[in-house]
Amino acid sequence: MNGDRLKIEVSNLTKRYGALTAVRDLTFTVEPGVVTGFLGPNGAGKTTTMRMLTGLVSPTSGTATIAGRPYGRLPRPSRTVGAVLDANACHPGHTARDHLRVYAAMGGYPDSRVTDLLDLLGLTEAADRRTRGFSTGMRQRLNLATALLGDPRVLLLDEPSNGLDPEGMRWLRSFLRRLADEGRTVLISSHVLSEIQQLVDDVVVIRRGELVAAGPWSRLAGPPAVLVSSPDADRLAAALRVSRPAPRVEAVEGGRLRVRGLDAPDVADLAAAHRLRVHELVTENTSLEELFLHLTTGKAAAP
Amino acid sequence: MNHLIKAEFRRLFATRMWSGLLLAAALLGGGMMGAMALVGPENFTPPMPGMDTETGLRSILGILGYTAFVPAAAGTLAVTSEYRHRTAAVTFLFAPRRWQVVAAKLATYAVAGLAYGLILAGTAAAALFAVAAASGTSLGLPPGTVLALLARIGLAMVVYLLIGVGVGALLRNQVVALCVVIGYLYMGETLLMMIPGVNALYPVLPGGATASLTDFTYLADAMSQELGSTAVQLLPPAAGALLLTAYALAASLIAVIIPMRRDIT
Repeated sequence: MNGDRLKIEVSNLTKRYGALTAVRDLTFTVEPGVVTGFLGPNGAGKTTTMRMLTGLVSPTSGTATIAGRPYGRLPRPSRTVGAVLDANACHPGHTARDHLRVYAAMGGYPDSRVTDLLDLLGLTEAADRRTRGFSTGMRQRLNLATALLGDPRVLLLDEPSNGLDPEGMRWLRSFLRRLADEGRTVLISSHVLSEIQQLVDDVVVIRRGELVAAGPWSRLAGPPAVLVSSPDADRLAAALRVSRPAPRVEAVEGGRLRVRGLDAPDVADLAAAHRLRVHELVTENTSLEELFLHLTTGKAAAP
Repeated sequence: MNHLIKAEFRRLFATRMWSGLLLAAALLGGGMMGAMALVGPENFTPPMPGMDTETGLRSILGILGYTAFVPAAAGTLAVTSEYRHRTAAVTFLFAPRRWQVVAAKLATYAVAGLAYGLILAGTAAAALFAVAAASGTSLGLPPGTVLALLARIGLAMVVYLLIGVGVGALLRNQVVALCVVIGYLYMGETLLMMIPGVNALYPVLPGGATASLTDFTYLADAMSQELGSTAVQLLPPAAGALLLTAYALAASLIAVIIPMRRDIT
């Protein structure tokens, strides 16, 4: 399986619990080689979707496949897919090593893999302590280690930022980036957008069980804007509007301008050419938070 | 399948419950049997026939059979802890064919039950013979028969442990499942014996089948005498053994089939 580039495909997936529809006719694809963020407010159906992807919950209709097969039909699933769906899953009376050894046996992996993963996740010192005394972050790492036992090509993490401190988050970011760079498929769900903003390449946004948007984050976010403060704001705006190609210029509070369609050096050069003063020049990326609010409050929801 | 059984053994040995269970076997077997033999059934309240009579000896062996709720509770505890500590989802990620997981658990716990039964019967035999020798009492049954009866009790413990696993897999909620298992085995069946009409069912309930293994009717007889109902007629030991095995199989089957399509949330 090494080097395989595996796709996750969800098509027309629906899950009803009695009168409640948790997931409705959901269709999206997760590509290998990138980190995909699975976003939505709490209760949007992210967890239900991930549990359907891994066969823990059976869909009412539709399909969810990994590498073209439903989870239960993968020959040795823990070799293909590593999933952390519940960061607190561990027996309090087991030590971290016991926990990993149980699942290493289950997946048929050698004990050396257990030692390696304890090391990789910084759990070596805590390895022989019962998990009763573990912090949420340590349990999170233990469950991540469990998911990685089979060196899977596909990684699914449900709310991985829960319980991680900023340093842990930084580590997770670089770790997932490395996995994606190796051509693996990484899907992480979150409702705390600021924490995964720097991490994701693609996003899938759902709300109330339905797809709102999917695609590369850069495309959904649009081009960055440039924020300029200038005492000559009016003359600068006029100069910008007659330049070609004409950027969109809007005045914002504090006598500043927001310019879309030109990058910061262009704006600075243009101001210099007109001998206009610039006091501050900031490139403003749309934050995931804004995009998300924008998408999920319904304004841009209709395609 | 071998991987799954290996994993379940690792899971079992990693907890303190395992050593606790073996300790309980020695305490209930050697400890309780030794204490009963030392005091002597004739000094119980109400008094029972002495150890030098067949009835007396069968009675204290039968009382040992009443501790079957302990391995049953252990089986329930072990299987429900996967749901309580939410590792069931992780387990089913590694082994999506859920019946295999439960089958591996049953195989593992059958071995654990056997170890429990061996220790219980072994320590009970040692305590009984030691006290009899020390006090110069001649037991009411030949040693070979005593050992055979203890072996039956030991094997009944395997069955009870598996029944416990089955109920646990079915109910999933640890507290509810433990209440059901302990409540039924420890009190429920005894209460059923008191209800006229229903007590006719006693011989085919797990408790009645276990009692038939040692032909232990003292408690049932005493109760029917007290209540003026007809005496309970236990099954022959072989039929009792078959019935107990059927209970274990039914519990196992339920445990294997039920979790197949349930959502793990």
